[in-house]
Amino acid sequence: MIGARGLVLLAGLSPWVAACRETPGAKAAEVQAVEATRKQELARRLALADASPAKSLPVAKWIMPPELREISGLTLTSRGTVLTHDDNIGRVYEVDPKTGILLKGFSLEGGVRGDFEAITIAGSDIYLLESKGKIFKFKEGADASQVPYSVFDTRLGKECEFEGLAYEADSTRFVMVCKKIRGKNETHELLIYRLPLPLDRATMSTLRVPSEDVIGSNKWKGFHPSDINIDPITKNYVLVASREKGLLVMTPDGNVVRSEPLPDGHHQPEGVAITRDSILIVSDEANVKPPAITLYRWRR
Amino acid sequence: MPVLSGVIDVLTMKSDRPVRRLVAYYVILAIIVAIAAFFFPNEMSRIAAKGLGDVPEGPTVLNDALSSPNTGVTFGLGSLLGVALTTVLILLGALVLILPVTWVYMSARPSGGQHNQNVVQTLVILPLVVAGIVFMVQNSLALAFSLAGVVGAVRFRTTLRDSRDLVYVFLSIVVGFAAGVQSLAVGAVVSIVFNFVLIITWRYDYGRNMLMPTASAQWSRPLQALASPTGNHQIPDRDLMLSLTPEKANALADRFDRVRDTIGKKKKARYNSVLHITTDDVAEAQQKVEQALDRMTKRWALDELVTNVGKPSELFYLVRLRKSIPRDTLLAGIHANAGDAIASADLETGELAEDKSGDKDKDKG
Repeated sequence: MIGARGLVLLAGLSPWVAACRETPGAKAAEVQAVEATRKQELARRLALADASPAKSLPVAKWIMPPELREISGLTLTSRGTVLTHDDNIGRVYEVDPKTGILLKGFSLEGGVRGDFEAITIAGSDIYLLESKGKIFKFKEGADASQVPYSVFDTRLGKECEFEGLAYEADSTRFVMVCKKIRGKNETHELLIYRLPLPLDRATMSTLRVPSEDVIGSNKWKGFHPSDINIDPITKNYVLVASREKGLLVMTPDGNVVRSEPLPDGHHQPEGVAITRDSILIVSDEANVKPPAITLYRWRR
Repeated sequence: MPVLSGVIDVLTMKSDRPVRRLVAYYVILAIIVAIAAFFFPNEMSRIAAKGLGDVPEGPTVLNDALSSPNTGVTFGLGSLLGVALTTVLILLGALVLILPVTWVYMSARPSGGQHNQNVVQTLVILPLVVAGIVFMVQNSLALAFSLAGVVGAVRFRTTLRDSRDLVYVFLSIVVGFAAGVQSLAVGAVVSIVFNFVLIITWRYDYGRNMLMPTASAQWSRPLQALASPTGNHQIPDRDLMLSLTPEKANALADRFDRVRDTIGKKKKARYNSVLHITTDDVAEAQQKVEQALDRMTKRWALDELVTNVGKPSELFYLVRLRKSIPRDTLLAGIHANAGDAIASADLETGELAEDKSGDKDKDKG
């Protein structure tokens, strides 16, 4: 039995305990307040960027939490948010790029491990690409949940180290970009595999772009892409390269539109995405600096 | 500690059995952790499973590096207190997980073995140091290389008396690592499983080679050799004997042999075997075993009753066998008479078991 002194102690402790215990309602209200403030701030910064002649000013840079130190590919959802993933564990996170709010995180069933390099969405399915060419297909899950998945092996792991995956909705096919052709020290071409849906190795084709076209007037020795995505307006391919810290825009036919260095401040760009309202999103993996997502005004 | 000990006493009804006390300790610990996890979920997840890469719970507002140019790395009283609190929590966690390991280390010693106080203190301190180092080095390759360099410069080597002590030290390092990478849940599971497996293997003397003599059998030759042929003090004091190593006892027995040869007296020993019984119910076992001994041996005497905590008690009888009833028959008879009451029975016999005198007298124990 609790004596009188115990009751007094409990009564005295109760406000302190209540303060220590986080209430979901209070947290949600705080997030909503931040969301509203940040949307206003982003609109202001975008207006400034549009008015500025300097093209390379970032409009926002979100420092990711330690869980996302291995942040890699990016893909846009129909809600305007981006999905990103961990490099080593099959774990997907949803971030609102316009407010810098980490919305949720879910994992592949069984905490599957692998060298995951890219993510994309096709219809209601999400696809994760492993560097050796395995594609993991799954549905979106709730926060902190685990989702079942299936695996398709392109069997291209011996030929290519993959770094990027994007979905071309118009031609219902995946484009998979090769960072390094295995067995060759320096590649003289940019190699992209195209894999139509439904997934079948027999229908696969390639696109090869000479390195000199890709490099253009830049002082790069090559171009080692770390991610690829599709411009939702022009349907052009947009690629980033981690080693060269460069950006490449090319048509689906392989004609280079432009190749240029990324603005300063990117220590390891691993993912790229472009929104319908013309915002370029670049993700950087942590090395000496924390992982981050940076937003720019995208000029076509 | 007296409070904890008192609570454990209440839960175990003052039992001295290590398994019960361990279970009670872990139950208390689980309750404390559950309460802490309810009131401080973030702090607990920070030290219990962070290293496992947990999925973030609910929305998280990210830092804006443009409005705060320090790119999210903030340094102030808040962050300092946060780091200090995490450090204190992981060190406390390592301590509460390693404490029962030291208790098991001190309790589950081989028969007659003494624990090493230095090892006990090392077991307590080592995980704290390892946790501190790993917490500092975490995620920093540069720091890890620096640490390797520093440790390489410090040479420490020691020889442990018992190879099992090394396993405890390894466990201590594992707990320290788990605490350091903020995955105390892993450390807790490893520590709990280790403790119970060790207690059980100790309790049932797991791993004894059935083809080899038992640990006590190595004493049969010295026991027999040291038996005085005069009939007085037939079996030497057992405590004195067991305080020696078998090698030393053998050397002592050789000396006795030489003395005996010199004196020239040859007389049969009064007893020629030692019967070792283990039981959970001493009174019943004693009654039933002695009934069998009355019936099947020439003479016997109860030499010693050893009451163990956490494992069966032991009865030692000095026995003189009849020629007509060999060792195996006697053991079968004891099992038949007292099978329910005893856990095991073993008989160590010497050469003097070959008795032809047909002596009928018996000493009642």
